[in-house]
Formats: sequence, C-alpha cells, structure tokens
Amino acid sequence: MSSAAHAQLAAEHEALIQFLYLAPVGLVQTGIDGEIVMINPISAQLLMPLSRDGTLTNLFTALEDVAPELRHLCAMFARPNGMICDGLHIHLNSGAPGKRMRVPHVLSLSLLKLDGARLMAVLSDVSEQVRRERQLRQSDAWLNALLTSISDYALVGLDREGRVSDWNETIGRVTGFPASVVGSPYSVFYPDDSTTPERLQDRLREADANGWSLEEGPRLRADGSQFWGSAMISPLPDRDPDALDDGEPAYCLVLRDISDKRDAIARRRKSVFCDDLTGVANRRAFFEAAELELTRNRRTPRPTALILFDADHFKQINDRYGHPAGDCVLRQLGMALSNTFRQVDVVARVGGEEFAVLLPSSNLAGATVVAERLRQLVASQPAVCEGVSIAYTVSAGIAAIDEGETVDLDTLIKRADQALYAAKANGRNRVECWNGERDAS
Amino acid sequence: MTAATDLSFTAPGLHGHLSQLNQEQLDTLDFGVIGFDTDTNVSQYNRHESEAAGLTAPRVVGQPLFTNVAPCLNNFMVAQRFEDAQDEASALDDTIDYVLTLRMRPVKVKLRLLAAPGSAQRYVLVQRKL
Repeated sequence: MSSAAHAQLAAEHEALIQFLYLAPVGLVQTGIDGEIVMINPISAQLLMPLSRDGTLTNLFTALEDVAPELRHLCAMFARPNGMICDGLHIHLNSGAPGKRMRVPHVLSLSLLKLDGARLMAVLSDVSEQVRRERQLRQSDAWLNALLTSISDYALVGLDREGRVSDWNETIGRVTGFPASVVGSPYSVFYPDDSTTPERLQDRLREADANGWSLEEGPRLRADGSQFWGSAMISPLPDRDPDALDDGEPAYCLVLRDISDKRDAIARRRKSVFCDDLTGVANRRAFFEAAELELTRNRRTPRPTALILFDADHFKQINDRYGHPAGDCVLRQLGMALSNTFRQVDVVARVGGEEFAVLLPSSNLAGATVVAERLRQLVASQPAVCEGVSIAYTVSAGIAAIDEGETVDLDTLIKRADQALYAAKANGRNRVECWNGERDAS
Repeated sequence: MTAATDLSFTAPGLHGHLSQLNQEQLDTLDFGVIGFDTDTNVSQYNRHESEAAGLTAPRVVGQPLFTNVAPCLNNFMVAQRFEDAQDEASALDDTIDYVLTLRMRPVKVKLRLLAAPGSAQRYVLVQRKL
C-alpha cells in the first residue's frame, strides 16, 4: 500500500473512532454471557455509577443491582438470533429531584442477539421521555375510560365522605347490593384487603384536584363474588363539598364491569410492571407506586411502612444447586410474599435477591408483625425445585414514616436498607427495624 | 523547571507544575494529560493520551471535554466533581478508579482530577492500571 493510501486509511480510521466516541447513545458488544468486548463512552458514562464492582467487564454484572432479570432474559431467549428486549426501561431511583443533576432516573436498554456467541446492546438515558409519558398516560387513561364500549355500569352518588348517598337500579344490576347499601362507604364495593380508609379519601381528593380519579381493580358484589372493574369518581358540578350536609351527593362514582377486558389489560400491565422471573411488581412499578403513596401521605398524613427482604446466602444457593434452582427459589419467595401481604401492599423485586414491600397506612409495629410471619413461613417451608428441597432463610429491614412526618422515598429506602444491613450483621434470618440513626448524607 | 521536579502521576502539587510545561514536555510524560479551561474546552492534550485514545490533538483541542471529547466522564463521578469545585471555588485533587473506553475497549485506569481556585486550567490525568 502506498504511503498516501495508508495515511488516508489512518485518517478514516480515526474519523470512525471519533464517530463512535461521540455517538450520543451507549453501544456495547458482549459475549452471550454478557462479557464486554467493545464499548463506547456513553455506555461508560451511564454504567460506571451503577457498576457494583467498579469495572466494566460484564454488562449483566454492571446492571445486576438495577436489572437483575437480564441474565435470565437472555438464557430464556431460545431463538438463534433476534431482539431479546427492545427499549426495556431500567428504573434506577425514585426520580425525585435530587441535589445531583447528573443522575439519570430511567435507562432504556435494547439487546440484540447476533448469534450463539454475541450480543449487541444499546443503552440510553430516557429520564425526560419517561417523565413526559407519565403525564400523557393520565390523559390516555381518561380517554380510554370514555371511549371503551360500555356494556353496563352502575351510577353511584357519594356524599362528601364517600358514603353511598342514593340507591338506584343500576347499583342493583351491576353489584347486587340492595337499597340498604346507602350510608356505607364506597369501599363496600372493594374486596377486604384491596383498599384502606385513607385510600378511599385519597381518591376523593384527587377527584377534587383533577376533576376525576380513575382506577381499575378487583371489585366485590353483594354475594361476595368478585369482578374486575373500573371506577371513575368525579365531583358533581357546581357543588362545594364543604357546603353540603352529610348524606347529600357530592361525587358521582361510575362503576363498570370490565372483566371481559381484564386479560388484555392484565397482559399489557404485566409486560410493563411485572418482574419477568417472579411475577411480582418490578422496580418501575415499585417506584411509581411508592412515589404516589408518599405524595398522598404528604397531603393527608398517615403512616407508611417499607420492608426490604433479602434471601440469605443466596450466592451459595446458586453455587450449590445452580442458577435455575436459584431462580426457582426466588419465584417461590415471590409467591410467599404475595400470599402473605395484603392486596393493597406493593410487593416488588428490586434487586437480584432483594424484594421490597410498601405497606400503605401501616406503622412500624404492624409491618414488623407481617415481616416476622413471612420470615417464619420461609424458615419453616423449604423451596421445592424439581423435587429437590432447598432450605433457605430471609432477612428483613423495616422503616416507617409516622403520621405527619415528612420523609422522601430515597431516605425511607436508605433507612430500611440500614435495618436490613443490621439484620444481616446480627446473624441473618432476622427482622430488624431502623434504629433512628441520623441519615448519612 | 528543574530536573528534580517530580512529574509522576502521583506527585504532590502537580497542578502548578503542569501549567508551566510546554507541549514537548507534556509529551514526555508517561500518563495521559487532558487540560481544559473554565468553559470545559480542551486546551492541552498530550501524546500519551492521544495514542491511547486513537485521536490526534487537532480533533480534540478547542472542543468541550464532557460532551465532545470524553462523554464517558460526564456523570457525577467526574464532571460533577469539577462543577462542584468550580461552584465552591475550592481545590480539587481526587484520584479515582475508573474504566475508559479507549478505542472501544474497556480499560481500567486511575484518574486524577485536578483543579485549583484562581486557576482557569483544570486537568484530568489518566494512568492505565497494569
């Protein structure tokens, strides 16, 4: 090759390198096990603050704390090549405005399997898009409620305290309740553990503030049977709830049976809000639910508790029985958590072997009782994975917000984490509460 | 500058010495030097850094460091430290473990971040870990 051609090639090579350096999106090529082969600067910018071991040797390890499902997702992908995930949202933190402006809130990750040995990953910071989407989603929910074909609905008048103010035929037809339902709080249409008195009031306040409040979930008929319903509450026009007497209608509740659409709704929700492996809520769902609960908590003070659970010596379970057995243990732990806590509680997988449970309207003592029950349940019932019995234990850390106290989500999580650390340090298979130490900055 | 002046990666008082070196002297150092001004535009870029990154100085000098030259440093671990030091008009001399993506390969390095109040010049020094 002539020296001129050589120089030309060198210049083009340098331009290409710079092109990759400057691409405003993270690009990573890895082996099938996540071992990093090539990586560009934006990837390092986004991954270095997350990397547990301070290296960028393995993509799955670097993301272990925030996207524990990746390894499983890739292992489960059976096709020889193709998109493993496209724009998967990885939630890093609560997204509450912090003092550090450079900390992203949500990353998007796409993983392409090239062949049996290679993966390509695209990473980007989508915090701003997610914030905008959240605002749009609210309006979407409202439009959906209006536009979805309505087969039947109950029209319920509520007084300013949320008690049923009148009876009409639609209530009888959809819910089976007779006229004697008048005077009961509208929670009479909700299964026992799916709401709290505070939550009932929250929705009235949200309707006051926004003009409407919409929610989907299980509803109860008079005979005890359940259906999947959507409930929209709106204030009656031109009525000042404060000027009304008890028992006079102040709100309108439209209750619809949408059981036939439940599968589609559940599928859509599951793909966005559920942890792939265990079926409990994922980090995104947890942060969204927790932020909402704390916002409500600030508006109408009530206690809120947070429990962090961590499977003890989980690495040893993986090492001894293999990763599939480890996954099986996590699935059974997820199930035990879901069965132990109330429907209104949010059970989420927030790390590799770490679960969080948010308990609305619960104090430290109440949360401790249930956490202890879960701990004992796990200790007494080994997981059974493909016929092999695997005994394991969990440690738990609890922190709570007292009624009227203002604590942000990141602080609450930090406190529960300190308590969890204490439970580990004190021998594991224990439940510890945050001891009130000053928060580290 | 006397022959006895310590110009190693870990030398104390390095910020003051570096600002007095000419390009030729910077190029003799066995670690990477990226100097940048108050607007974060790169003003010095030595041979060691240029060879490691695969970029010649003309592509880099005059460009904003954290967006056009080394976006991998644009997070709270590095860029934020310089911003905080600038806001508080305080000195910065931190050494951290980091991973750079030199020619798209992850490379473990030690970074030394230098800033001094009253001086427009700031530095990221890069030493490969063995």
